[in-house]
Amino acid sequence: MSDSLQTSPQVPQPSQPPLEPRADVIHDIGYRHYDGARLGRSYATRSLFLLSLRGSFGLGRSIKSKILPMALLAVISLPALIIVAVAVYTKMGKLPLEYPHYLSIMQFVIAVFVAAQSPVALSRDLRFMTLPLYFSRPLTSRDYVRAKFAAMFSAMFILTALPILIMWVGSLLASMSFGYNLEHFAYGLVAAALYALLYSGIGLVIASLTPRRGFGVAAIIALFLISEAVSGIIYGVLTVKGHDHAAHWAIMINPGSLVDSTVTWLFNLRRQGLAGVPSTLGGYLFIAEIVLLAAATYGLLVRRYRKI
Amino acid sequence: MTTISIDRVSRWFGNVVAVNDVSMTIAPGVTGLLGPNGAGKSTLIHMMSGFLPPSSGTVTIDGVQVWKNQQAYRQIGLVPEREAMYDFLTGHEFVLANAELHGLPDPGAAAQRALATVEMEYAQDRKVTTYSKGMKQRVKMASALVHDPAVLLLDEPFNGMDPRQRMHLMELLRRFGADGRTVLFSSHILEEVEQLARHIEVVVAGRHAASGDFRKIRRLMTDRPHRYLVRSSDDRALAAALIADPSTAGIELDWTEKALRIQAIDFYRFTELVPRVAKEAGIRLLTVSPADESLESVFSYLVTSA
Amino acid sequence: MNTTVARLTVRGLLGRRRGLLLLAVPALLLVLSVIIRLAVGQDESTTVNVLGTLALGTLVPLLGLIAGTGAIGPEIDDGSIIYLLAKPLPRWKIIITKLLVAIGCTVVFAAIPTYLAGVILFGNFESLALAYGVGALIAGVAYSAIFLLFGVITRHAVVVGLMYSLLWESIVGNFVTGAKTLSVQQWALSVAKRIADPGVVSSSVHLPTAVPLLIVVTLGTATLAAVRLSRLTLAGEE
Repeated sequence: MSDSLQTSPQVPQPSQPPLEPRADVIHDIGYRHYDGARLGRSYATRSLFLLSLRGSFGLGRSIKSKILPMALLAVISLPALIIVAVAVYTKMGKLPLEYPHYLSIMQFVIAVFVAAQSPVALSRDLRFMTLPLYFSRPLTSRDYVRAKFAAMFSAMFILTALPILIMWVGSLLASMSFGYNLEHFAYGLVAAALYALLYSGIGLVIASLTPRRGFGVAAIIALFLISEAVSGIIYGVLTVKGHDHAAHWAIMINPGSLVDSTVTWLFNLRRQGLAGVPSTLGGYLFIAEIVLLAAATYGLLVRRYRKI
Repeated sequence: MTTISIDRVSRWFGNVVAVNDVSMTIAPGVTGLLGPNGAGKSTLIHMMSGFLPPSSGTVTIDGVQVWKNQQAYRQIGLVPEREAMYDFLTGHEFVLANAELHGLPDPGAAAQRALATVEMEYAQDRKVTTYSKGMKQRVKMASALVHDPAVLLLDEPFNGMDPRQRMHLMELLRRFGADGRTVLFSSHILEEVEQLARHIEVVVAGRHAASGDFRKIRRLMTDRPHRYLVRSSDDRALAAALIADPSTAGIELDWTEKALRIQAIDFYRFTELVPRVAKEAGIRLLTVSPADESLESVFSYLVTSA
Repeated sequence: MNTTVARLTVRGLLGRRRGLLLLAVPALLLVLSVIIRLAVGQDESTTVNVLGTLALGTLVPLLGLIAGTGAIGPEIDDGSIIYLLAKPLPRWKIIITKLLVAIGCTVVFAAIPTYLAGVILFGNFESLALAYGVGALIAGVAYSAIFLLFGVITRHAVVVGLMYSLLWESIVGNFVTGAKTLSVQQWALSVAKRIADPGVVSSSVHLPTAVPLLIVVTLGTATLAAVRLSRLTLAGEE
């Protein structure tokens, strides 16, 4: 307590100490509790999903992180646009290639996208150790995995479905057979979905293993490159020895050809290149493998994030 | 005796000016580089250690430019702020590697000496990843000392140290300063700087705000009244006598302290006034102490007025 | 060449995860070679396929990428390179040492396994194994230098390196014939062609063109890396 000389004449004796003992108190300086509605777990999961999806294309991040995904979108769409333009101008009756086969040609672009963007989705949280911050909210680790997996799948589906869509719209513009093209457009979408599912699962599992982004990118692309080279060699070896049909078993280790072959067999499309199943049993096994791989990668992710 | 000269140095990153026309001389002894976060302390230290070229102006050590001058590192020991070290090494291996990279004739002995100086011998065979923050800081210090440099630059060295480690490090730096080395450390914690550095350089928002002994800086701040705490045998009478003089701007009776708090605008006149007035009124002076010559008040004044 | 820098680089490069990847790649090649040899016997076209496409075309660039960027990238990324730079050590010495370590890794993990795979698949006939082994060695040297430079200039060295080796070497190289003259793979193949018996290995670039280009690229990238390293800055707070 202090007293200013300029104020009141009533001044207590200088020797008198302050009267009551000082109480320990916390003053209300305007901190307010939030008592409103809390949006809950599903909202949090949805938000994380949207954030990751946008981040896969660099939206909401710096310009540098937009370059690669947008470039890849352009690269995968450009040939489709060209094909469509040519088809319209020369008045072709049919598109020069099947919808799913376009994606098998563009396999590498899809692989590069998943290799570059899976670490973008997962490595930052691992490196800067923000996962405890996420998990100390209503969001559980399963929600986190669910959101990230769904986001990566959606991003990849956008990438793979876009050229398919372009081709279909082109077929409409060129007034090609509507029913036929609609049916094959559906096949193309199935192929797009399968590529998205398989690739995103593999990419995410590998990315979740390392906090270093560059290393994750290298590991994922290494897997795709090596699996393709190895399956190509095994295929070549088996063909050389005359086992033309059995050679297709080599496809089981190559995710890209796996999808391609399965879709070709499933919808009875024209075969091209390596695509093809060893037998009907093989076809079913391929489908089973795709489903199993997708489930296994998801399960591995859940396990990996259970304890951080 | 090595002196660091910073001459009209500016550094900008695009549109952001991090350091704005700063000139200072860092002489042997311990100097504290003081400033709020984002004031440009780290930028200045990076320029002094040759890891950032100034956009204009020169940074020299004994007249020799530091930027792109590898030989200068013979005399410079740097303790960076970032924690990253070669994690897979043990403490001893890390300091030893630094000694070897300096090309020292007996790196093992130098490393041992450096580790002993920072008292990290007990943990020297454990991997750096297992160290606490303070231990990592001490190993960084050891790596900076291993070649016996004339200049020691420390970027926020007391971050993450517990009081005992801090005291120990301060003692170390004091000793180095007394040995004639040029020690510069940056901090935004005033108590550390107050205890350790006689000479401070204050940087606020990229500008050089003040330089020198902080008490003398205080004297230079003439447009702010000096505050004193005075206890006497008769406070009221003394207060009445003092307020009569124009050098006194205001007086408060502080019940809790049982003292007078006096604001004086004219320092020299006031110092002559108090004993004279007390003697004339027959009042015994018990305590006369300056209440605002702390670094904190100096600093807050500099920061708010800049 | 500085032994301390070399020691630090080796230990950093062969740390757990990266070391595993470096080991897994040649292991895969060797296992595959054994399996193929057992399945097909000695077959020239298969051998050329394996050594050319898998080893020289995929594994060597991949290993060059991992070794080249890994020799300096992580240190710059987390800032621990300051302990190498705040020393009276010429920058070119640091770069050369790291380059030698990266090259050493490519020799051990790419070139020698390529030679061994060749021997497993085809024995010593037609000097095929030796040819591809040497080709892998030379490609490893060039890739290490190129990717070390990437590691110095950009923080996204791995992605950029992948773009380079995928887009440039594979896609552009396959579609734009002129680009083949500027492909490390083709240069290595031209050296291999010289060593192997005639007609076995094919390459789109002549040896007199390839060798100078290899030398220029290797030395040029190393020099550029040293220059960039000496101008490395730490900008303010993190």
